[in-house]
Amino acid sequence: MISFNRSQLIGAEFIDDETVRFNGNQIDHIYNMEINMDVRIADGVILKIEGEMKRYTNFVCPRAVPVLQTAVGMSLRQEGWDKAIMKEIGRKGCEHFAEIVIECGRCFDQALKSRDLYLATCHNPGLDQEAFLESWQPQS
Amino acid sequence: MVVKFLRNKVVEVEPRKDGTLGVSWRLTDDLLKAEVNLVVQLPAMEIIEATADLGRFVPKGLEDASEIMEDVEGVTIGAGLRKIVRGLLGGPEGSSLLSEAVLECCNAVILHFTRPGLEIGEALENDEERLEAVRAMVKSSPRLVRSCISFQDDSPIMKGLNL
Repeated sequence: MISFNRSQLIGAEFIDDETVRFNGNQIDHIYNMEINMDVRIADGVILKIEGEMKRYTNFVCPRAVPVLQTAVGMSLRQEGWDKAIMKEIGRKGCEHFAEIVIECGRCFDQALKSRDLYLATCHNPGLDQEAFLESWQPQS
Repeated sequence: MVVKFLRNKVVEVEPRKDGTLGVSWRLTDDLLKAEVNLVVQLPAMEIIEATADLGRFVPKGLEDASEIMEDVEGVTIGAGLRKIVRGLLGGPEGSSLLSEAVLECCNAVILHFTRPGLEIGEALENDEERLEAVRAMVKSSPRLVRSCISFQDDSPIMKGLNL
């Protein structure tokens, strides 16, 4: 039988032309946590973040919720952003919150590509999707 | 609002009849499909088998993912793991996908071993006993010290432990 199972589910909504909203959930046998964060598309800066601890291991864990605000102003385009998130949100707060924020960050370009490809195929169903993705560049 | 992107990822640890642990890591999103499977030998915690299979839009350089993954066979889950795995699977663009998958598999193995201890703590009678159980866990696992807010020096859990 399975002795440990973890699922992560990350969704991305484009709430306006400038902002993508990530919703990240991480559920496993031990923990259950959720992150919502808004990211500015132009430079990857985290504009807003909130988190909820639904299942955790000890009474100190919820003190990590306010630590999440450290992420506001950090950019997903900055080199080493993931290490910075793990240091500031993970070590000083909660590693599992950091894991969700990092997974949302890893989805940043994928979400932009996915949106752009979807829109492009709506206009041109016969589009060479591989070629489109190969030539895709993030907006600056 | 309709989401424009959805990623679903799962990692599972399964003890097998031969005493090894099977670890399955799978990811599916709008653009990528990926699967990594490890077999971990106990008690050494050595990765003895590692395979990968990618699909949909495969990142450049990862067309032969399973061949690349063979490099982590022989690696032990322990000190320096992140540096070792990232070093072995570094190189071609997009290879962080595989190294992070392996690291997430290894983290799941650690949590597989963490779970029984937490369950013992939960079964204790009162808050004081549960606090002592957490303190005992930190004492026996020095890697936990300052790893998160619960185990920072100013945490009530760490009070008087001098770790």
